[in-house]
Amino acid sequence: MPYHEFECSKVIPERKQHAVIKGAGEDLTSCLPKGYLNTIPGSISERGCAYCGAKHVIGTPMKDVIHISHGPVGCTYDTWQTKRYISDNNNFQLKYTFATDVKEKHIVFGAEKVLKQNIIEAFKAFPEIKRMTIYQTCATALIGDDIEAIAQEVMDEMPDVDIFVCNSPGFAGPSQSGGHHKINIAWLNQKVGTLEPKITSDYVINYVGEYNIQGDQEVMLDFFKRMGIQVLSTFTGNSSYDDLRGMHRAHLNVLECARSAEYLCDELRARYGIPRLDIDGFGFEALGNSLKKIGLFFGIEDRAQAIIDEETAKWKPQLDWYKERLQGKRVCLWPGGSKLWHWAHAIQAEMGVKVISVYTKFGHQGDMEKGISRCGEGALAIDDPNELEGQEALRMLKPDVIFTGKRPGEVAKKMRVPYLNAHAYHNGPYKGFEGWVRFARDIYNAIYSPIYQLSGVDISKDEIATDKGFVTRRMLSDAGLSDEIKSLPTLTEYTGKYDCVTDLRGRTYPDFERKTAATAAE
Amino acid sequence: MTCDVKVKDRVGTINPIFTCQPAGAQFASIGIKDCIGIVHGGQGCVMFVRLLISQHLKESFEIASSSVHEDGAVFGACGRVEEGIDVLLARYPDIRVIPIITTCSTEVIGDDVDGVVTKLEEGLLKEKYAGREVHLLAIHTPSFVGSMVTGYDVAVRDFVRKFAKKGEPSDKINLITGWVNPGDVKELKHLLAEMDIEATVLFEIESFDSPMMPDGSAVSHGNTTIEDLVDTANAKATIALNRYEGGKAAEYLEKTFDIPTIIGPTPIGIRNTDSFLHTLKAITGQPIPQSLVRERGVALDALTDLTHMFLADKKVAIYGNPDLVIGLAEFCLDLEMKPVLLLLGDDNAAYVDDPRIKALRDNVDYGMEIITNADFWELENRIKNEGLELDLILGHSKGRFISIDYDIPMVRVGFPTYDRAGMYRHPVVGYGGAIWLVEQMANALFADMEHKKNKEWILNVW
Repeated sequence: MPYHEFECSKVIPERKQHAVIKGAGEDLTSCLPKGYLNTIPGSISERGCAYCGAKHVIGTPMKDVIHISHGPVGCTYDTWQTKRYISDNNNFQLKYTFATDVKEKHIVFGAEKVLKQNIIEAFKAFPEIKRMTIYQTCATALIGDDIEAIAQEVMDEMPDVDIFVCNSPGFAGPSQSGGHHKINIAWLNQKVGTLEPKITSDYVINYVGEYNIQGDQEVMLDFFKRMGIQVLSTFTGNSSYDDLRGMHRAHLNVLECARSAEYLCDELRARYGIPRLDIDGFGFEALGNSLKKIGLFFGIEDRAQAIIDEETAKWKPQLDWYKERLQGKRVCLWPGGSKLWHWAHAIQAEMGVKVISVYTKFGHQGDMEKGISRCGEGALAIDDPNELEGQEALRMLKPDVIFTGKRPGEVAKKMRVPYLNAHAYHNGPYKGFEGWVRFARDIYNAIYSPIYQLSGVDISKDEIATDKGFVTRRMLSDAGLSDEIKSLPTLTEYTGKYDCVTDLRGRTYPDFERKTAATAAE
Repeated sequence: MTCDVKVKDRVGTINPIFTCQPAGAQFASIGIKDCIGIVHGGQGCVMFVRLLISQHLKESFEIASSSVHEDGAVFGACGRVEEGIDVLLARYPDIRVIPIITTCSTEVIGDDVDGVVTKLEEGLLKEKYAGREVHLLAIHTPSFVGSMVTGYDVAVRDFVRKFAKKGEPSDKINLITGWVNPGDVKELKHLLAEMDIEATVLFEIESFDSPMMPDGSAVSHGNTTIEDLVDTANAKATIALNRYEGGKAAEYLEKTFDIPTIIGPTPIGIRNTDSFLHTLKAITGQPIPQSLVRERGVALDALTDLTHMFLADKKVAIYGNPDLVIGLAEFCLDLEMKPVLLLLGDDNAAYVDDPRIKALRDNVDYGMEIITNADFWELENRIKNEGLELDLILGHSKGRFISIDYDIPMVRVGFPTYDRAGMYRHPVVGYGGAIWLVEQMANALFADMEHKKNKEWILNVW
C-alpha cells in the first residue's frame, strides 16, 4: 500500500492509513485511504457535527420554512450566516434562524413546554410562513425531549401548519455526514407522499443533492425547464417544503451530490420505484453528458443537444481563453465531500489545471475511490486531514492554488498560496456552462494576482525592480504564451455580469406539447 | 418619557445576538501564548466557532475538539479528552497550557473533567511527558447557562485562578481588556506607553492583526504568557475595562491577593477615556502627559466638526456585548445623539443594577428602551410592526439584514464584523477610538443621505 505518512502524524500511527500517494501504475485496489471513521480527538480535524450536517447543510436551504433548533442558542447562532445558499423568496432562510434558547432549568425539568411556546411564537412572528423544521441538538437529545409529540400536538391545534422533525444531534456520527443520512431518511419517512403534486409535463424529475450555492440550482433548473422537464422539487436548495412532500411522483431522481443525498434517492427507488440518475453540473463535458443522459431517459435528447450546442458556442471560447493560461498549474483540491470527484478530472481536462492533492473532511471511501481514480499519478489523497497535515502537505506540494474552506484558506494565505472557497465559491455560481467559465476566471484571478508576486519579496535583502509601478494579471499570465495564442481572436475573457442568476428568475420557457391528454389530466 | 429596562417577553430566540458560553472561552483561550484549548463536546462546537472568529479576524489559529461521538455521549467521554490531550502534546511540542472547555453535551452527561485533569497530572504528564511543563485546567462553560459573554468572563477568571501566584511585588498593573479587537489592544498599549506605565495585558491579542511574510512563516496567536498570568498576583492594581468580560478575574485577584481593583468604565468616548487615564494616574502616580492632552484635543476637534450639525438627535439602536453597548450609548449621548434602543443579548440579572444603566434611567429625558435577553427580533419587530424610526444602527454583522432590508445605515462594531473589511484593526476605545467611531458614524449617515437623496446637497459646503 502506498500510504503516505506525515511527519507530524508519526505519533498517531492510526493516521497512516488515511493518506495515500497514487504512484505509477497504482489502481484503486492498492491506494484507497480509510474513510469515515471516528475522528482522533485532539488532532484538530476540520470536521463538523451531525447537527450541522442535517440542519446547516441540508435542512436550511429549504426556503419557506421556519428553521428552529431545539437547544441552547449557540448551535443556531454559529451555523447562521455562514453559507451562500440563496433563494428566490428574498432569502428568508438565510435571514431568519430560530432557537428555543434552552436554559439550565429546562435541562433539569425538561424543555418540551418551552419548545411548544417557541413554535407558537415563531409562527406568530411570521404569519405568512406555515412550515417548520425542528432540529434536535446534543442537549435536547440527551435530556430526551419528545419533539415529535410536541410537533404533533401543535399540528393538531393549528391545522394550517406542518412541522418536520429532524433528530440529528451533534454527536450522531463521526462528522456532518451522519447528519446528512439522518435528515434524508427522516424527510422520506415523515414527509414524502403527504402531498400530491400537480403534474404539468410528461417528464418529471426531482433534482436531489443540490443546495443552490450562489444560484447553482437556478442555473441547472434553467436547463431542465428549457428541455420541458418539470422539476417537482429540489432537495433542498431554493426548494419549497411542500414541493418536497410530493417527491414520490417523479419519474426520475436526478442526483447531484451523491455524498449528501444518495440515501434519499436509493430509498425513493426502493419504495416508489423511481430510478436514480447521477449527474454532474460542473464542467462542459460532464454537464453536457448529464443533460444528454436525462434527455435519453425521456427520449428528448434533441432538446438536450440544442442547449449544449447553444451554450458551448457561447461559452467555450471564454473557457479556452483561461485554459490556455492555466495549463499545468497545480492545485490542491481540498473540499468537504463530493467536490473532490466532481472537480478532479473536469478541471484538469477542461482548464489544464493539474490536481496534485485531494482531501475530504467527511467523505466516505466511495468518494475517495472516485476522486483518486480521476487524479493523475503522484496525487496525494488525505481523509479527514488535520491542521498540521494540511500545512505539511502545502509545504511539500507548493501548489499554485488551493480550493478549500474559509478558515483553512487563511492558513494558505499566510503560506502565500492563493485560495478559492470550495464550499461557498468566490464569485459563483460555478455550475452550468457560464458558471464553469466563472470558476476558471476565479482560478485565473487567484493564481495571477500580482499580490502573490509582491508577497514573496523580502525588501530587506531581495533585489527589486524599481522601474515598475504596476503589473497586471495579463502581464503575468501571458509572459510565456506564444504570440499565436495571444492573438487568437476567437478566445475572449469572461463577458458575463457580476450577478448572472437574478435575470434567470424572470425568464419564460417554451410550452412543449404533451403527448397524451390522459397524462395531462394526471 | 424615560428609560425603561425590560426583559424580552418571548421565551424563544429569533435571530440570536450572542452565541453560547464555549465560544467565549475559546476566544479567551486564543489570547494565550503556547495554548491550545480542547473543547469537550461535539465537533461543531469548535469547527463553527473557529470559523466565526476566523471570519472576524481574517486569521486562522488552533483550537481542538475531543470529538464526542455517539458512544461517548452514551457511555461517557472522559477518555476522549485524555486521548485528545495526549495527541495535542505529542504533536505540538511548544504547548504549555491546555484548557478543557466543556459544552452542553458533556455537562449534561456529567463528564468529570476536573477528575481528568487530576488523573492526567498524576499519570500521563508524569509518565509520558516528564520534564515538560504542561498545565491543564477545566473550564466549565455549559451552553445552557449565560452566553458567550459569561463564557469569556469565566474563562479569564479560570486562567487567572489557575496561574496567579504570590511572589515579588511588581510595579506593573493588570489590564484586563475584555472582549476587544487587536485595534483596541494597540490603542490601550499606546495610552499606557504615553503614560509610561507597564502593564500585563489580559489578553494580548494585538498580534492577530498579523502579516503575510516573505518566507510564509507567519502564524497568529495571542501573546499573554503563563509568566504574565502568574505575575497577575503581584500587580500594583487591576483595571478591568469591562464589567462583564473580565470582571470576575479582577474580583478574584482582589479577594485572593488583596490587589486594588477598578472595574470599568469601558473607555469608549472622551469622557470614559478621561476616567480611564485618571484611574491610571491615581493608581500609579504617573501624570497625564501633554501628548495625551493634545490627542484628546485632536479627538475633540474631530467630534466638534460633526456633533451639532450632523449627529444631534439622530436616533440610534445599539446591540451587542453589554459593556460595549453601554459605552457606545454613553458616547452617543455626549455626541447629542439619541440612543433609543439598547439590546443586551443574554439574561444576566445584574444588568438592571449596573450603575451606568441606573444613570441612564435617572437622566435620559426621552424614550429609551433597554431590553435584556434580547434577540434581533426585538429590533426588527419594532421597525417592521411598531413604527420605530431609526437613523443609525450600531452593532455586529449578524444584524446586517435589518440594516439592508429596512434601509437603515449601520456601523459595524463589536464581534463579529465579518461583512466589513478590517474592522478588527481599528479601536473603539481611547481617543483614537472616539475619532474612529464618530467618523464612521458620520460617513455612514452621509452615504445614506446621498443614497436616499435626503438633503445630500448639504455636504456641498461642509
